Amino acid sequence: MSRENDGFVYHRGLLQAVLDVVYRVVNFFVRWDHLPTLLGAANLSVFRERLREHNLHHTGYGTTSPGWSPGNERWRSADGSFNSLDHPRMGMAGARFGRNFPLPECVPDSMDDLLEPSPRVISKVLLARDTFIPATSLNLLAAAWIQFETHNWFSHGIPKEGNEFKIPLEPDDHWPENVRGCMQIRRTVSDETPREPWLGATPTFRNLNSHWWDAGQIYGSNRDRQLEIRSKVDGKIKVGDDGMLPADPAHPGADLTGFNDNWWVGLSLLHNLFAREHNVICDGLKTRYPAWNDEELFQRARLINAALIAKIHTIEWTPGILGHPALDFSMHANWSGIPYRVLKTVLGENSEAAYGIIHTPTDQHSAPYALTEEFTAVYRLHPLVPDDMHVRRIDAAGADCCKLVDMQGSASRKFMETHGFVNLLYSFGTAHPGAIRLHNYPNFLRQFKKDDQPLLDMAAIDIMRDRERGVPRYNRFRELVGKKRVKTFEEITSIPDAAKKMRAIYKGDVDRVDLMVGLLAEDLPDGFGFSDTAFRIFILMASRRLKSDRFFTDDYRAEVYTEFGLDWIQNNGMKSVLLRHVPQLGQALEGVNNAFAPWNVLRAEPWPSS
Amino acid sequence: MALIITIPGLVRLALVRDPDELLRVNDAGTVVRPLSGRGGLFNRSVAEKLAVFRAADGDIWPAFRDRHDPLRAAHQTSLESALSNIGPLLERIAPEITELGNYVRGGRTPRSMGVVVQQAVGRLFLPDYVASEESYAAARTLQAWLSAWPLRAAWLRRSGALKAALDHIEVASQGDMACAHATALAMHNIVKSIELMRELALHGDNLAKIEPKDAMLRTLRAPARVVREARDGDFVGLVRLRSRTLILLAVETARQQRASDPGLAFFAGAWNQCPAHGLVPALLGKVWEAARTRVIAGS
Repeated sequence: MSRENDGFVYHRGLLQAVLDVVYRVVNFFVRWDHLPTLLGAANLSVFRERLREHNLHHTGYGTTSPGWSPGNERWRSADGSFNSLDHPRMGMAGARFGRNFPLPECVPDSMDDLLEPSPRVISKVLLARDTFIPATSLNLLAAAWIQFETHNWFSHGIPKEGNEFKIPLEPDDHWPENVRGCMQIRRTVSDETPREPWLGATPTFRNLNSHWWDAGQIYGSNRDRQLEIRSKVDGKIKVGDDGMLPADPAHPGADLTGFNDNWWVGLSLLHNLFAREHNVICDGLKTRYPAWNDEELFQRARLINAALIAKIHTIEWTPGILGHPALDFSMHANWSGIPYRVLKTVLGENSEAAYGIIHTPTDQHSAPYALTEEFTAVYRLHPLVPDDMHVRRIDAAGADCCKLVDMQGSASRKFMETHGFVNLLYSFGTAHPGAIRLHNYPNFLRQFKKDDQPLLDMAAIDIMRDRERGVPRYNRFRELVGKKRVKTFEEITSIPDAAKKMRAIYKGDVDRVDLMVGLLAEDLPDGFGFSDTAFRIFILMASRRLKSDRFFTDDYRAEVYTEFGLDWIQNNGMKSVLLRHVPQLGQALEGVNNAFAPWNVLRAEPWPSS
Repeated sequence: MALIITIPGLVRLALVRDPDELLRVNDAGTVVRPLSGRGGLFNRSVAEKLAVFRAADGDIWPAFRDRHDPLRAAHQTSLESALSNIGPLLERIAPEITELGNYVRGGRTPRSMGVVVQQAVGRLFLPDYVASEESYAAARTLQAWLSAWPLRAAWLRRSGALKAALDHIEVASQGDMACAHATALAMHNIVKSIELMRELALHGDNLAKIEPKDAMLRTLRAPARVVREARDGDFVGLVRLRSRTLILLAVETARQQRASDPGLAFFAGAWNQCPAHGLVPALLGKVWEAARTRVIAGS
């Protein structure tokens, strides 16, 4: 196999080349987010092309060739294989994570440097939440949503015991599981598949889930799991008499669904909602295609449901969390194209800028499709999670203050039973998530007990994960996504005292700042919920999830989805899904344009002060 | 003290000549072998030159593998073990040593001395390695490529000479990357040493007077420069390296400051220790001995 990204080569058009030069000049004087909306949107498109050319790197597949099953040509296989018919292993469950940077840039530090500075100290001094900082433009469903989505995209697996990182603890650190003066952190599950010699020193890891945007969190990433969650009648997903997902016997407290690690009530709400959506789609298909069997109905409904989720993420969640007009315009353009008829005609029907990525030709650009380690790194968004929230009733005033720690893991189903699906949806819709900033990491996750795991400081673990996987630290990461390196801590952040604390921890060396710390510290563009540096990876990968997937491009057509399916995707969004399955939310959602923005509180009462 | 040259957009360079400083920089965590090409046009041009040293399937030549590359460490260990069996290896290349001895004492060889060196070096890896004027020309082309100015470099690339040279070396090395590196790049230092030996030998009665070990120490030559890159900014001793600084380790200049220590030429004891650190001095000593033997026998 050639090292050159398995033969994939990026082809730059003349228009792109010209725009690239023009915007290099423009950006010398003006940042993209300060440009008028249309020019800003075009700037984002130029960034995306640059990233497509330079920031996609293959690390090998790490899997064996899968076997062909009938139907793979017209629906999504359970493990994501055969999405690309020419490269069946591409993006399948078990395939390796790719990289967004040249492989020699993705090499972990040697052992001494790897633990410096102490991730535990960073957790205590820079990340720990003093006072809850809310993200007031969002509701808590937005936080649950991104975890719901990342469970679709990636999982490195559950770390096993043995060969832990030993993080020395400071004398005044009273970490309960102190082992000979150290906190232990288990390593990421290693990739035991044969390494290609051209990988050099870059470590590789495998994604247990399929890399595709295929709603694998609901449907699972292997055939056995898929069969477990199905009712085997009319293509439907198994639900109980109460309309809720059944319990997973292998995972106490969690619902039986495709992927239920790190389970909590927020996930349960969304899984239940979209399981119901799946079943309604099955009903619709059954009415129109009565001869279809269970398998055909299930697989077609999955395609439609997965596309609807992708659409909601693209044009509702993303503009919700990144509230900038250029981005709002771009995300809608990504899905359905630009609203200018003349420009559409000029650019032609294969232009993704003109007509949206959906149903344009599939393109992998410069590397076989895979989600990347850098992509997983920029999705470390734990500050979104509050430590506690007010649980309201939709039909009565008042609220119970509940701790998040009591609505996760084995307590999840009990909590759902106690408070009810409708009340919890309403409560999530009317509560704020945390802002993605320094000093806002949920404290319960900094001392978190998870089944069969030692006590976890998730903040310290987040820091170690980027380091052990060879994700470049913040300053080099900036450089590699096309931004200037910073020279001082003050250039990163204006959060009071943060620069001073960072300088002390990193001993004055700005190049040592950890990626997550830099991303949380960085001053944000207007309206943004997370950093512009993380956003660069997002620009590339959000489009790639669509553009590389034949079911969103070449095969986004009626023969595959059915006319009914295409209409369903076209005419629905988060709000309509919520109202279809929980009509009681009508008043709460009245006048709310984006279902991830705060909903109406129906009975006046103060906002929770966490 | 290192010489730092920074011209924005053109070059960001550090030239390190002091032996201790050189070893410290070579060992620094932020200093790496792979070159990103960032830092200026010159940095990019050097990175592009080294980027060609890959096999057709993308395999990286061992000398360009990064410090933490598990394959580098594995290659180094196995090669060092293979090359530590010095006696039998030198026995294997006895005919070439004799030929080189003859050359050192002023004799004429039917083929270029470089071809003989290349064959000797190649046979340390592959007993049936055969060097020729063409394979030596290929090695010289690759050496020239590394030091070529932009016009010549462009010509070497455009004319196909570079590609042909790489192909020739790879075919001759039967896909053995370590052999390819040794017979294309590393051998030039031995060629220089043999030339110096010849000069030394032809001067008065040095050949009879100077012992093989001293002759080796006086003629051993290290690579003129080895390149690295500072991935991030850092202080290494007193040297402040900015991120993406191209580092030129002037190994030969440093070695001359410590002529009594042949180890410096091979980074002996460092993570990138040359696996032939024992073999090359022994080879040079043997060549001198071969030249002397004939003289002593003849006299």
